[in-house]
Amino acid sequence: MATDKELSDFLKSIEKRAFKRTAFAVRDDDAALDIVQDSMIRLAEKYIDRPAAELPLLFQRILSNATMDWFRRQKVRSAVVHNFSEFGGSGDDDGDFDILEVLDNLEGTVGTESAADSVSRDQILKLIETEVGELPARQREAFLLRYWEELDVAETASVMGCSEGSVKTHCSRAVHALAKALKAKGLAP
Amino acid sequence: MTRNTKTTYSLPDRDGLEARFGVRVASMLGERAQSTAPDISERLRFAREQALARAKAARRQEQLATAPVVVGRGRGAVLASPLGWWFKLGSAVPLALLVLGLAGIAHVHDRAQIAAVAEVDAALLSDDLPPDAYTDPGFAEYLKTTRE
Repeated sequence: MATDKELSDFLKSIEKRAFKRTAFAVRDDDAALDIVQDSMIRLAEKYIDRPAAELPLLFQRILSNATMDWFRRQKVRSAVVHNFSEFGGSGDDDGDFDILEVLDNLEGTVGTESAADSVSRDQILKLIETEVGELPARQREAFLLRYWEELDVAETASVMGCSEGSVKTHCSRAVHALAKALKAKGLAP
Repeated sequence: MTRNTKTTYSLPDRDGLEARFGVRVASMLGERAQSTAPDISERLRFAREQALARAKAARRQEQLATAPVVVGRGRGAVLASPLGWWFKLGSAVPLALLVLGLAGIAHVHDRAQIAAVAEVDAALLSDDLPPDAYTDPGFAEYLKTTRE
């Protein structure tokens, strides 16, 4: 059973990421804060008897469900369907654009001094945040759960309610889309 | 400088490259997330405190649900452990046994009475003297005088 301190430390460690992730999805800071608060309370009330190690995955599931509940309550099913639909192959079949080469270059460029020479670091971070926010919802969800929340593929699939193959596809497409967008903004050499 | 050559990657290289890129972008996102507006940080702190308060309340309630509680007042006060339906069921079993026992005793008593009446009836019917004789006033008078 997680102690009060373990629960407090855990919530403190994830609250900002949870807020950002939710704000990306609902595009409304107040709604995102409400959803995060509801999720925290649900975790504290219903799963306090679980070990501390289980809290991260449980919380991600609760947060995803709470976000979906919010969409349902807003009765914007059509928007949800649009946001959460599969986006197939956009940009992946660009014959003149070697996306992996850009990834390779970007990895050594983003956030280093050479990039900071032309654009301020804050602007770069803001640009990255904007581009992540522009990703299709399922791609963004998979990307953030895998690389930001550091869940493995199986855990991400469990939270998203899809197959591991879908998670890999979403992540790959998200990475490619981000790389392409960042290159277009001049963040690649 | 323009690139004329196209780099080719094997699948593991590609996965590794994507993962490294993803982690790099995520770490920068994390950096940005740390600099949230003060009012949002404050609301998140409030949300966290609310959750912790609920967790404490949930723990207290759980302890109350399992600990024995005092029922009644003064001399009549007793310790009761509200263990739910099993506890209630356990309390009902002796009562049910008592009711069954009483019903059994009543049944045995009824059977004994029926057997006694049947025995008298059988004796009357198997006797040489017909049962109608006992309703005859002359026979009754005869019995009385004989006893005297």
